[in-house]
Amino acid sequence: MSLLKPFSKLPGLNSANVLLVESEEQFQQSLADRLVEETAFTVNVRLAKSLPLPLENDESRPRIDLVVFIINLTSELSLQSAEASLKYLDHRYFLGKVSFMVTNARNAKAPGERLDAVRKLAASLHCPLLFAEDQTPDGATNATERLLTILKVAAGLVPMATALYLSNLTRSTVVQDIDQPSFD
Amino acid sequence: MDESAKRLLQRLMRRIPTQTLPGALEKWARLTTDQQKSMDFTQSKWALTEKLLAICEENELSVRQLADLEMIHIIDNPDKGMWYAFQLVDPEDDAKSVELMQFKEQFKSHLKELVRNVSIKMKKHTDEAVWIRIAWGDTFSQPNHLKPTYVVHYLQTPYVFVTGITSKQKPLLSQALVLSTRYQAIKDANLSGRKLTAIRDLLMKKYQQVFPTKYPIPPPENNPNISNQHIEKEQAELAANRLQMAREAFGGGMLPQLQSAVYKLETKFRDHSNKTMTEREEPFRCVVKFTSTNLLESFRHCASSGIASTPVTPLLSCIPLKGRNYFVITDNGPGPSSQVCQPQV
Repeated sequence: MSLLKPFSKLPGLNSANVLLVESEEQFQQSLADRLVEETAFTVNVRLAKSLPLPLENDESRPRIDLVVFIINLTSELSLQSAEASLKYLDHRYFLGKVSFMVTNARNAKAPGERLDAVRKLAASLHCPLLFAEDQTPDGATNATERLLTILKVAAGLVPMATALYLSNLTRSTVVQDIDQPSFD
Repeated sequence: MDESAKRLLQRLMRRIPTQTLPGALEKWARLTTDQQKSMDFTQSKWALTEKLLAICEENELSVRQLADLEMIHIIDNPDKGMWYAFQLVDPEDDAKSVELMQFKEQFKSHLKELVRNVSIKMKKHTDEAVWIRIAWGDTFSQPNHLKPTYVVHYLQTPYVFVTGITSKQKPLLSQALVLSTRYQAIKDANLSGRKLTAIRDLLMKKYQQVFPTKYPIPPPENNPNISNQHIEKEQAELAANRLQMAREAFGGGMLPQLQSAVYKLETKFRDHSNKTMTEREEPFRCVVKFTSTNLLESFRHCASSGIASTPVTPLLSCIPLKGRNYFVITDNGPGPSSQVCQPQV
């Protein structure tokens, strides 16, 4: 099994590497264009449709600091592809170096069960769940800013903060109905 | 001007939109320059119809001349109405050398022999197509100009496209075509659609074909946004392979705007979880219809983005390969065997 390992390579100086995994290969392109505009440090973006990644690129690939799975809620294939790709990540990635980004959550075509399934998945893996709007350039810019915040910590560029520490604060939770206060 | 001519003119005015009307009238060249100038195209359609009716009365135009106007309009806007493609088979020795005048005379004489009262107009278009307009009548009535049949034939090719024909008229037209083009039979090409340009380009392969090569030259950079060196695609080679296979199956560049494909399935039901249906002996009949504004472009995108698995299944790739969009799939042997299951009319 060709697992992607987080600590098997040396980190680069003042740089952060992020892997965007998206089955449709649409939103990742606009996110990538905006991510590389960051000037404080170098951002290298790798784009993939699904894992596992081809072995030929293993040598030239830098150490990946953050893996983001982009899931389109209007497509079942998108969710299934992301779930299948999770198997190819080394378990140490799930200590704050994996994030889920979801698009089209407000779309009427997206069934509520799918969002619940993604929530449960993110909660069980202790990963943050971000919501993004992919139809407008503003939405992509917003998503990029939020992603950069998590990326900076995951790449070790923020002093006194580690990815594991941040993930404790940002991880997704599933609210149980029993915990909701009842108004009867 | 008699009743039928008036009705034809009114019908024409309803069909021709005001934007294309001045152009069509000029090409028709039956109005004098003064009359053309006196037509005010900013008026309502009804007012224009009355004006044109008056001018045609003045010029004493007959139904045949009005039919010319209709033909001009249809030739310039062929993408309306349902067109059906036919193919001539078994050429005689001199089929390849049939030229325009010979074809025209032969077709007119053969059709007039078969049908007593028929009005035929033939016109050669700039792109080697012969357009034929037929108004059918019979022994007791005059030709009906309100329901004409249009036929487009490309000389020296075995392809014929027809619109507006009834099942009674089809054998007469087939006979006339077969005799005048020196072939032995005509068969249904199983291709139909609303856009004549689309089905013609598909059948006659007038779009960019992509052939399999062992060492493909990488296509010119059509994604300038990837030039940033910090962005890298991990699976670029897989994506390029998929794109190449999609282009080989469906073609490169602009594709003919085919709008629908119909598969009639007569195969046995196969689903292990449903025993009652699988045990039945008779085939499970169902019809699958694909529609889109540009069906071939959608299929090509499905294949290149990985939604449809590559190499492209022969069920889909035989649409451009054989130039058909109606298939009957039965159970004979591996793979689909598409049979022509048309009742010969």
